[in-house]
Parts: sequence; structure tokens; C-alpha cells
Amino acid sequence: MLVAKRWQQRLGVIGLRVRTRRWVAVALAAAALGAATACSTGDAVSGAKPTELRLAIGGEAEDGYDPTLGWGRYGNPLFQSTLLTRDADLKITNDLATGYSVSPDGLVWTVDIRSDATFSDGKPVTPGDVAYTFNTAATSGGLTDVTVLDQAVAVDEDTVELRLREPRSTFVNRLVSLGIVPEHAHGPGYARDPVGSGPFVLEQWDEGQQLIVRRNDDYYGGKPAFERVVFVFTDEDASLAAARSGQVDVAALPSALASTEMPGMTLHAIESVDNRGITFPYQPATGRTNADGEPIGDPVTSDVAVRRAINLAIDRQALVDGVLDGHGRPATGPVDGLPWYDPSTAVTGTDPDAAARLLDEAGWRDTDGDGVRERDGVRAEFTLLYLASDSLRQGLALAVADMLKPIGVAVTAKGESWEVIETRMHADAVLFGWGSHDPTEMYNLYHSGQAGIELYNPGYYGDPEVDAALDAGMAATDPAEATAHWKEAQRHFGPAADAAWAWLVNLDHTYFVDSCLDVGQEQVEPHGHGWPITWNITGWRWTC
Amino acid sequence: MTTVERGTDRRRRTLAQLAASVLVVLVVLVAGTLAVDAAQTTGLASRNEAPTLGHWFGTDWLGRDVLARVLAGLRLSLVVGTSAAVLSALIALVLASAATVGGPRVDAVVGWLVDLFLALPHLVLLILLAFALGGGTEAVIVAVAVTHWPTLTRVLRGRAKEVVAADFVSVSAHLGRGRWWIARRHVTGHLAGQFLVGLVLLFPHAILHEAALSFLGLGVDPAEPSIGVLLAESMRYLSAGAWWLAVLPGLCLLVVVKAVDGIGENLRALLNPRSHHL
Repeated sequence: MLVAKRWQQRLGVIGLRVRTRRWVAVALAAAALGAATACSTGDAVSGAKPTELRLAIGGEAEDGYDPTLGWGRYGNPLFQSTLLTRDADLKITNDLATGYSVSPDGLVWTVDIRSDATFSDGKPVTPGDVAYTFNTAATSGGLTDVTVLDQAVAVDEDTVELRLREPRSTFVNRLVSLGIVPEHAHGPGYARDPVGSGPFVLEQWDEGQQLIVRRNDDYYGGKPAFERVVFVFTDEDASLAAARSGQVDVAALPSALASTEMPGMTLHAIESVDNRGITFPYQPATGRTNADGEPIGDPVTSDVAVRRAINLAIDRQALVDGVLDGHGRPATGPVDGLPWYDPSTAVTGTDPDAAARLLDEAGWRDTDGDGVRERDGVRAEFTLLYLASDSLRQGLALAVADMLKPIGVAVTAKGESWEVIETRMHADAVLFGWGSHDPTEMYNLYHSGQAGIELYNPGYYGDPEVDAALDAGMAATDPAEATAHWKEAQRHFGPAADAAWAWLVNLDHTYFVDSCLDVGQEQVEPHGHGWPITWNITGWRWTC
Repeated sequence: MTTVERGTDRRRRTLAQLAASVLVVLVVLVAGTLAVDAAQTTGLASRNEAPTLGHWFGTDWLGRDVLARVLAGLRLSLVVGTSAAVLSALIALVLASAATVGGPRVDAVVGWLVDLFLALPHLVLLILLAFALGGGTEAVIVAVAVTHWPTLTRVLRGRAKEVVAADFVSVSAHLGRGRWWIARRHVTGHLAGQFLVGLVLLFPHAILHEAALSFLGLGVDPAEPSIGVLLAESMRYLSAGAWWLAVLPGLCLLVVVKAVDGIGENLRALLNPRSHHL
């Protein structure tokens, strides 16, 4: 899990870098592919829409498609099916499971499995396969965190018991994201040749170029309207070109390219919890370091008045309009719009005057007239680090620095690599991106026990009330009770209270979709990776 | 009479051109240093604006002034260019001296190295090196320096051999002077002209390669306003009609490269009037 988050932060960039060097080859491949399909389907002649769908939405899993090693951890593994799933409103519904219950002590999760599901090799999905999947994932050290699982046991022909080491309300997210693999057909080669009970079967994977999947006609759920789906892996510019020439039906493009005119395609700006925010060093600068000798603390951002003032002074709507080209929403917390979000903690509007008053009251005053406040000889200045290769983060960091100048806080925005940021993130403010359908992430970002672990709680934030609420949320056995605790935590760490972070924006994920393709209702998408837009691909239809 | 007059004119013209080129470079250096802050200042209300009186070169996707970014970028180019050219010329000088005084074996090795590096396509080598060094300003400097010494080495080696073959050097040798003494006292002085001109002529190469590497994402930090980074950023907005993002930085790069090239050419004309080819 720890490793998972590190990679979650890094993958986007690495993937991008690797792919830019491949894009010429990929563009050629895509062009050839487009030409080939145009000839074979002959839709112009018959008037019928092709039964093949071509998507340029990235998300190639370079480690393959084995859920026990982390494939599908953002949901919707496509080749496999999961016990539970989330609907358009992110409410949890049954998939392979017909129901589940949690014991009063929260330690035993009993799941009933439907009996009509089969793997793509024709064998039925049994509780034994479910137990095998969970046990394997718990010990594989993969990117899906199932380590709280003690043991999974098939108790009869349609029931499986998942026994935990300690109560964990967020374990339900593992039931949503862990694709079930067949015990009889799971081994070292599985990641490249997966067998599952999902709506599609992998047919061909040309690494770095394309992935071709075929409809699983034995799928127990809704039957997809498309016989084949081709995922082409192109970089942004090649995706744009492919979309423009009609070679793909769906193309994911960065918001900066979303304003382009695209004949025959419609822009879908899908809401996400893919957020960007600033973590502040919470501890005072006392020369303290962690075990690796990395410095902890900052004399300016450790003052709650400074953090609250920054939260008040940032014009988030201007960031959305100016940096995201309008494709996003202001963010004031890490979980905006999710069921466990407490809207009362939001910052409403921008108030630089109130920010200035807060700083005045806290003793930060510009006595030497250089435009920067001081207190006890300390200038109100700090460094804001961001990932240098990410132009969106660069734009946000520079814009925020300019927005804080008028209230007398000097911010130096500096682009660095993750290697450098990881050594300095406890003593410098850092622009991060997070966003998950799993409240565990909120726990990881704000719990004092997670301070300095991997990329979690980088500022060493710690508040006993927040810890208590987060612990209670994790240990709750009832989802409603857990939600109450998650909301409680936000009231303590939110922008009007401890203001441990300054959240800036939630991105919209922008896709160009063929105007004739109905992709149904869209789900609020998490931070990057995977194929979130395909969550309901079984329901996609041509409409003209 | 007429010949003399033409000669004087040419000398005067050369000096004037040299002065103009130096002036351009100096102006860029000073203006670029002053523009570093402005190059980073965003203006979210005025994004992607075409050139106006307020912003002569327009603004980019964050509303930053493109003129300020171009000046800051050119300054960075000059810094990178100087470092890379000096490093490269030093490598050439060391190798040429070694080939001259180190005996036939060293000479053969140096000759072989020069041939080897000239045979390799230097752009490919440059990209590989910059990638292997992990990108960044230092990587660009090292990569350019390591790939651009062979031609100058060959010139310096030829000139040094010429000097070594001269009578005064053999007299010196017969008088019992060591090889290093001869290299220091007799050879180095004669190489100064070639060295200086070669160094200046390496400069535009280095600047262009810095821009190319940064454009490919292997060069300086994408957050730094380098010309290559500016051009790479502009690609996205070109199709939306934002021509000023690419055309103006490109033209300015051309002007500066031409200016530096002018310094080199005119210097050569002054120092070594009979040499037309280096």
C-alpha cells in the first residue's frame, strides 16, 4: 500500500516520459490500425456502426493484468469482476456478491456469491476462487492493500468468510476493487493472459502500443454492444491527432487541449476527486530531523494563522479558470463531493482582507516596507515545491505564489524531481495530487501515525481529535457511523480549523467522445490511472 | 593604394560587426537577468494574448510575458553555451597538447578518438548522453561538451604539429628542453588564436543543442524559461493560432546565435586574416 501510493504519485510522469519516446511508432501503428479497420468494417457502405470500439485513454498497466498484484486497484478491472461495485453515484452495489454482512465485532465479513457466474474458460466462479484471490493478494505484496486480512475461507458452496486482523470499515473498498481470479488458472503467466469473469477477455497486448479485448459472451451481467475494444496507448499529441482524424472513438486529453474544436466529437468533462493541494510543514523548525536525516518543520507554515490566511487568500475559481481552462472545480478538502465529505468545512469565496487581518492579529506585520511580513525577525516566506515535469502543477504553484504576494507572504515556487521533493517535503510546502474513492486516503494524509511514511502526511500534522475521529472511522462496522467520523475529522483539520493543507482544485478529466456514442452516466473519477471512464462500458451504445 | 584602402575598410567593418554582435549579447545578458522575475509572474486574467503594446511578444498559457521569458531564456542559453563551449574547448586543448607532446602512441590514440567521435552521429550521442545523465542544466552542458571537441581538437593538433616541426622548436629540443617545457612555452602561444576562435564558434552550436535537448524534454528543467522549453510549450497552442509563442522566441534565438557566430567569424578575420576555413 505504501509502495502503491508512491507509484500512484509517480506513475503519471514516468508513463508520460516513456510514452513520448514511443509516440512516433504508436502514431504509425494507430494510423495503420485506423486504415485497416476502416476497410474491414466498411461502415460507410452499410450505414451500420462498427462493433469495434477504439479508445485512446491511456492507462496501460505495465505490470500486466493480475488483480492480486494490483491491477484494477482503482476499480473496474474489465477482465475480472469484483464482489461489489460502485454505481454512478458511487453507492456500493452487488456484483459477484449477492449480499454481505459484517459481524458485530467487525472482524468477519461474510459474503454470499452468485452461482451463475463463470470464468471465460467456462468454469464456474466459486467461493474457493474468492478465498484464493483474497489470500493471494494479502500475501503477494502487490499494490492492492489487503494486509488487514487474516484469512479468507470458503464456508459453503456460495459463501466466503473474510476474517480480518482488526475491524476496518474501509475494507469494503477491497471488495469493490479486487478482481476475482480463478484458482485453477492463476499462475506466473496470468498477468499477461488473464482469465476472469468480467465483461471482456484479453485477446492481444502489444506492449506500449495497443491492447485488444473481445467481448465475453458468457458474462453474467449486461451484454456489451461491442464485440471488440481496442485500447491504443498514445501520448497526448498523438491522441489529439488520432481523435481529429476519426481514428479513435474516445480520447482522453489534458484540459489544456480540451478547448480544441473537434468535429464529430463531443467534449465530456467528467468530475473527479483528482485534486491538487498544498501540504504545509506543520511542525515548528527546531532543527529536528527524521531517521533519514531529512529536516522537519518550518517557522512560518507551522503558524495556524498563516495556514488559515493562505486558505482564505487563494482565489480557487481563478485557478480553475486560468490554469485548468475552466475544466475543474475549486477544492477545499481532500474528499470534495464524496459521500463522506462535510460541506460545512468548505472555504467560500476568496477574502484577502480577512487573510491580512488574521496575519495582523497573529503578529505578522510588514515593518520594513519590503512587501513581506515579519514576526520576531522571521520573514513570512517559504518554498513551494512541485513536480518540475508537470506543467499543470507548475501553473498552479506559480499562480498561488502570485496570489499570496498581496497579503505579504512570499512564496518561492520551485520545480523539483520526486527524489528531491521526498527529502524536503517535511520542511517545505509541496503541491501534491491525491483523490480516491476510499477514505483510507484521508486517514493516510491526516493521521499522525502516518507522518512521514512514504508520501503520507508529509507535513507531520498531528491532532489528537483528528486521530481519534479517523481511528473511529476505520474501526466502525457500520458505513453510516464511519461516515460520521470521517466528517468529524474534516471539521478539525479543515481550512477554518487546523488548515493542515490548502486544497486548490479538483480536475475535470476531459475526454473527446464520438458524438454518436452514448457512454451513459459518468462517475466521479479518482486520481489518474486505470480506465475510470469504462466503469459502465457494458452499457455503451451507438445512438446514430 | 586601393588594396590598402579596401583592407582598412574591411578591418573597420569587421570591428564594427564585432562590436555590434558583442553589444547584442551584452544587452541580452543584462535584460535577461533583469527579466528573471517577470518571466515567472503569472497573469491569469490575460492568458494567451497576442502581442500588444503592453506585452510586445504576447503572453503564454499562464499569462506570463513572453518577452520576459524569451530574454530570461536567452540568458540561460548564453550561460549554458559559455559553459559547454569552454568545457569542450578545454577538452580539445588538452587532447591536442597530449597528442603533440605525448609521442606517437598518444597521438594515434587521440587521432583514433577524434575519428571515432566524428564518425558517430553527434546528435544521437548528445541525446543519449543527456538522457543517461538524467537531464537538467548540468547534463546539457556535459553532453554538449563531450560531443563537440573533435573538430577543434583536429585543428589544434594540426597547428601544434606545424609548430613542433618548426626550426626554433627543434633547436629548443636540441638545447635540452623537455617536451612539456616546449609545449608550454612554444606551442600554447601559437594555438591561442585558433583556440579562441574555435571556442567562440562552438558557442552557437552549444546554444542550439541546448534548445534542441530542452525541446525534447531532455534538457533544462521544464520550469526554467529556456528557449527550448518555450518552443516545446508553444506546440500545444500553435493549433489554436498562438503563433507568437513559437515564432518570436525562435527568431530571437536565431538573432542571438547569429550574433555569437558573428563574433567568432569576425574574431577569426582579425586574428587570422588568411584563414577562411577552420
